[in-house]
Amino acid sequence: MLSLFKPLSQSVRPSTVRFDLSVGLPVLVLFAVIPVFTPSNYFLGQLILFFLWGTVVTQWNLVFGVGGIFSLAQMALFAFGGFVTGIMGLYLGWSLWAALPIAGIGSVLFSLLIGLACLRLRGPYVALLTLAIAQVMYLLIITDTDCFYMEGVTCRNFTGGTRGLAKYGDFGFRDILGAKWAVGHYYMGLVMLALSTVMSISIIRGPLGLAFRALRDNPAYAVSRGLDRFKYQLIVFAMSAFFTGVAGGVYAGHFKVIGANVLYLSLLLFLLAMMIVGGIGRVWGPILGAAALMIADEGLKDYVEWRNIGLGLIIALFAMLWPQGIVGAVEAGWARLRQRLHPEKIAEPGPARAPRP
Amino acid sequence: MLFRKSSTTPTPAEEKGPNRRNFLKGLSLAGVGTAALSGGLLADINLKAGVKAAEGEPIPVGGAVPITGWAAADGIEFQRGLEMACEDINAMGGILGRQLKPVFEDTKEQGADNIIPAIQRLIDRHKVHAIINGYNTGAVTAEYDTVADSGVIYMHHNTDIVHHDTVGKNPDRYFSIFMNDPAEYWYGKGLLKFLNGLGDTGQWKRPNNKIAIVTGSQNYSVVIANAIRDNAKEFGWDVSLYETVVVPISEWGPTLQKLRNDPPACIAVTHWVPQDLAQFCIQFKPNPTNSLVYMQYGPSLAAFREIGKENTNGVLYSTVVASLQDEIGTEFNNRYKKKFGASASPLAGAQAYDPTFMWAIASAVSGGSGGPGELDQNKKVSNVLRRMIYRGTLGTTKYFLPEQAAIPYPDATKDPSLGMPHQYLQIQDFTKEPALIAPAPYETSSFQMPPWMKA
Repeated sequence: MLSLFKPLSQSVRPSTVRFDLSVGLPVLVLFAVIPVFTPSNYFLGQLILFFLWGTVVTQWNLVFGVGGIFSLAQMALFAFGGFVTGIMGLYLGWSLWAALPIAGIGSVLFSLLIGLACLRLRGPYVALLTLAIAQVMYLLIITDTDCFYMEGVTCRNFTGGTRGLAKYGDFGFRDILGAKWAVGHYYMGLVMLALSTVMSISIIRGPLGLAFRALRDNPAYAVSRGLDRFKYQLIVFAMSAFFTGVAGGVYAGHFKVIGANVLYLSLLLFLLAMMIVGGIGRVWGPILGAAALMIADEGLKDYVEWRNIGLGLIIALFAMLWPQGIVGAVEAGWARLRQRLHPEKIAEPGPARAPRP
Repeated sequence: MLFRKSSTTPTPAEEKGPNRRNFLKGLSLAGVGTAALSGGLLADINLKAGVKAAEGEPIPVGGAVPITGWAAADGIEFQRGLEMACEDINAMGGILGRQLKPVFEDTKEQGADNIIPAIQRLIDRHKVHAIINGYNTGAVTAEYDTVADSGVIYMHHNTDIVHHDTVGKNPDRYFSIFMNDPAEYWYGKGLLKFLNGLGDTGQWKRPNNKIAIVTGSQNYSVVIANAIRDNAKEFGWDVSLYETVVVPISEWGPTLQKLRNDPPACIAVTHWVPQDLAQFCIQFKPNPTNSLVYMQYGPSLAAFREIGKENTNGVLYSTVVASLQDEIGTEFNNRYKKKFGASASPLAGAQAYDPTFMWAIASAVSGGSGGPGELDQNKKVSNVLRRMIYRGTLGTTKYFLPEQAAIPYPDATKDPSLGMPHQYLQIQDFTKEPALIAPAPYETSSFQMPPWMKA
């Protein structure tokens, strides 16, 4: 029986942990010192956005790439976290710091409801139902036209309606850091992405990852050994919702507005493309994909008319030439290089088999 | 000083150096005719400053506009309007000899995560001295802090009542932010006032006091629908139907059935997509009710008339910000179409054109524009803008203070020289441009009873 709380070291090869640490720690240190060298709020703002989308795709990857659940509900969970944060700040007067964990827990509960409804289905049906849930959420928000309270001469809707929810405060960094407020949001986003990556690593390299690999490689055998697909899918679905909801809350606090626009299909597809470009199912794939597409998007900003075409070409190129994404391509390249450099190791015979009777 | 010195004969010294005639000659060469109204003033200020031509270091001026996404059609016009204004201003010597250089960032789908980075990029990367936009709907003034941190002048047409609250409560922090059109709130009051005006002047007799409101699900539509609903009682109207339809929509049968079951005196459709509205007209016309039909924005686009054809005759619509059909507006519209093609929409382009002139004049009067972080200079420019009464292609721009939002006429002032006209238009012949029927003195035609209604 697999245990979620089994120590990582019992199920993870030390070499993979060393690899993750050797990649993650230098990158973390690099990002940690960036604000010291750049005065640009725009640059920091784009990196904050990278941390937000990086967190979402890292968590979505657990569901989509590791759990094999074709869920399109990730931005609905993100929006849920954002709206919980905004609503608690606006109507209950809560500090957004206090609202953040509630946003995460609320998204977990919401994901359990979605999971219970969807996870008995398979493949495209899961995609359709989760997309439908996200669209219903979108419609509920934009058709919220009833007057919940009056602000001067204008009636305000509970969810903010099509206008979006605003004026619920922020994380208070403007009071502390003044014009350098973005630095506070930056480190907040960095910590969030780091923690969500640690969680992603512990799931992919841990018992849950093993369970999903077993279910993927030999479903009949895995089930006969007592692996319950539904249970493990529900667990990973709920776990991934926590940081997704928190990311929604950080988005709401950073931009000081949360609206139905985060449920636009175009944004959902942009995030999906990040996973495809980076490498679905890989630990570092989604983050690399997020970085690659955001850099490409940035580079194409001076050629606005070509931006969508350029992004479309990049995605099509990856889908056709490197379907395993950047990480998959690097892995394949590394394997080829090793084979060329050390053909004897690859061809080395294993232990002698016992002669057949 | 905002008043032009009357001088017709240049002195010999002026003939050798810079003079107003040279600048105005530059204007006419550039094709700027009626822009001379404001351009002449700018040219005079430049002249007095000893400017020969716009040759100094360029001043970057930014547009955060939706070049892609659902509002791209308007976004491209905002871009064109700013480009045209910069060209015209440069022909007059720029701002004290410094040329304007327009730069743009795409606000895509207009979410906060699009708008705020676009504005931040204009400030950080391009170091713009002003940001002059059409509309961006998704940030709900959240972008104001980004602008306020830098202090650059920000003039937009977000048509958002939240602006009044945000700037009105903290005018010192948001000193540089101006909303150059009236808030959407005025659509509600304005329509009810307009309908009552038709009754008071005997142009129309309402069969009952019912108004039916049909809104789409987008921000713009819902806010206007709510404004009509919330003010109906005050103007003697009862809301008989408030229906939210999911857009895009081509099948209006269920909504029309409700309208036919309880015919109102006026049907106000605040959804704006032209093809959807044209379908409404096509399906309404065979079995109409004795109701005026008012629609939002879509009828201003040619696609509405092309699809709906004769079924659109009689439809009313309004706008709180568009170029007028008077001497100044018509000249601008013609020049705009000549420059960008017959399918270009000067109604939207004018939104970026007028404020650019206002800012350029205010900067020239203040001794120059201010870049990011130059708070003192930008405060000088802002103070001139706050006091300015500007007559341009959109009519008159004057601000509510301390809110720094355009005052609508006749919704909030009875004096047309002190407010931006809330224009009412009617499609009287679908093969021609809509007729401007109110408010006076800008109207070019009279209200006509729609063909489906009893006189």
